[in-house]
Amino acid sequence: MSLYGLMAVFADPEALVAAARHMRERGYRRMDAFSPFPMNELDGILEIPKSRLPWVVLAGGIAGAALVYALIWYSVEVDYPINVGGRPLHSWPAFVVIAFEVGILGAAFAGFLGLLAANGLPRYHHPVFNAESFTYARGGRFYLLIEAADPKYRKGVTRGQLTRLGAETVEEVEA
Amino acid sequence: MAEAGANSLDVMRGRHDFPEITGRIGSIVLKGRLPRHFWTAFFLCFLLVLLFLYSIIYLISVGVGAYGINMPVVWGTMISNFVWWIGIGHAGTLISAVLLLLRQPWRASINRFAEAMTLFAVAMAGLFPILHLGRPWFFYWLLPLPNVHMHWPQWRSPLVWDFAAIATYATVSLLFWYMGLLPDLAVLRDRARSRAAQLFYGILALGWRGSAYHWARYRIVYFLLAALATPLVVSVHSIVSLDFTFAITPGYHSTIFPPYFVAGALLSGFAMVLTIAIPLRWAFSVEDLITLRHMDNAAKLMIAAGMVVAYGYVSEAFFAWYSGEPYERAMMVQRAIGPYAPLFWLMLSLNCGVLQLLWFKRIRRNMPLLFAIAVAINIGMWIERYIIVVTGPSRDYLPSAWGEQSLTWLDFGILFGSIGTFFALVFLFIRILPAITIFEVEELAEEEGKLR
Repeated sequence: MSLYGLMAVFADPEALVAAARHMRERGYRRMDAFSPFPMNELDGILEIPKSRLPWVVLAGGIAGAALVYALIWYSVEVDYPINVGGRPLHSWPAFVVIAFEVGILGAAFAGFLGLLAANGLPRYHHPVFNAESFTYARGGRFYLLIEAADPKYRKGVTRGQLTRLGAETVEEVEA
Repeated sequence: MAEAGANSLDVMRGRHDFPEITGRIGSIVLKGRLPRHFWTAFFLCFLLVLLFLYSIIYLISVGVGAYGINMPVVWGTMISNFVWWIGIGHAGTLISAVLLLLRQPWRASINRFAEAMTLFAVAMAGLFPILHLGRPWFFYWLLPLPNVHMHWPQWRSPLVWDFAAIATYATVSLLFWYMGLLPDLAVLRDRARSRAAQLFYGILALGWRGSAYHWARYRIVYFLLAALATPLVVSVHSIVSLDFTFAITPGYHSTIFPPYFVAGALLSGFAMVLTIAIPLRWAFSVEDLITLRHMDNAAKLMIAAGMVVAYGYVSEAFFAWYSGEPYERAMMVQRAIGPYAPLFWLMLSLNCGVLQLLWFKRIRRNMPLLFAIAVAINIGMWIERYIIVVTGPSRDYLPSAWGEQSLTWLDFGILFGSIGTFFALVFLFIRILPAITIFEVEELAEEEGKLR
């Protein structure tokens, strides 16, 4: 079994943020933090790149609306043109309604599926689950993971640094 | 249930720590030791589910004439049930989406069950237009499918728009709800003791591990879905109202309908939120998480929406008179003194009269009384939809063909059956999934400095 990284457990969110900041300043790059709820401070410290998901959502919305509008247009102009009450075949104000609804539907699907794809979920076998200490069972535990692949990683040194930052336990995580 | 105390209006009361919050909310689901009255209530709801099934089978085998509709009133309780249920769903979306965008901290502990309420209300609502069809098994003709007739849906018809709106609303509500559940499912996965529960919650949690990278994207998409749900909820009920306004029938053909329907939806929806939340917080002793502040705010939103509804009533009556159209005027007069007059005045006294009690702080914070008012508004709003659906066609342009519809046992069998099914689903939801969002309550405790 190869080593995936070191998992440090912290009792409260402030300790995790402080530890992440320190390790960052020491030059560690391949880190991840795990928390039971979102913590905005971590985004800056871990230098999480700005997500492109909003563009995916926009594209999904436009695609949904455009496809359905095209379908309606095709049905009334090409496939089955029929005069209903003397209205123009292409009565766009009426068609916008369904295009709007399907646009929302497309955007929502793009957002949800895009999120799963970007996060690599579903994934049931991630190495962090190998850590004994890693669980949400008690609600509030805050984890900092230093990957063994980090160039700054030195087994004993990194462990000592994490312990000095106030980690309750530091555990080796197998890949 | 009675709690007084002026300074108890926090979003969260008392001091908490993470294991306590997780444990209390999670154990409702995992220990499964629910109070006896929970199962008694579920059993009663289950009887109504059976009644619902029987009524639906009866309706489909005998035909739509079996409930009260008859010429000229061919829109009956199926349509009013539909509008009522879809309206109830909207408050859930408002709480979960709009209050998220407005960054209102008080949504955190009630958004989950409000979303569940939306989902189940939409599930109920979706049945009624189908049951209303003479041949319900052909409902899929509303979809643009290549069927044997080689024709397309009538895209200019609000009924087809309605189908698109409801289908979108149900799907987006489900996605939003499931996304909010992911982190909590991970908590339940880790807490579960039995193999079956571990597998069930584990598979549903999709391997969520709370990584900071995941949370960053999660937050963005959650906000975007909320931002999408907000115009969606307004569009859905506006489209529902267009089902009426596109007809020239007196009483239907009115430009006030879309905003008036949306406000009515919020009024009845918040009434339903209170109808569920007041017993829920009492039965599970979570009064410190779902506090008086929540109840108070929901009551205030009810009165705000209720005043818009009252404005809708006034404007409807005024424009019927101002149109100078004899049939519009006759319809409005008949609504007040005709065969449906008792229902009309009952509706006004509930939706405009009883509602005014909520101006008083003392009443808003008296839980048994607030519960009674919420139930009264639910009834009032059902009557409102019934009045709108029925009085128009009953006093149409041809006085010789004026006529009423009756209410038969089947109308009530289906209405109460759907109410029972809705509550049975709510009970199952409370049993199977965490009814209070664990991660948002923890975040709230952290932000509010309510940690031990």
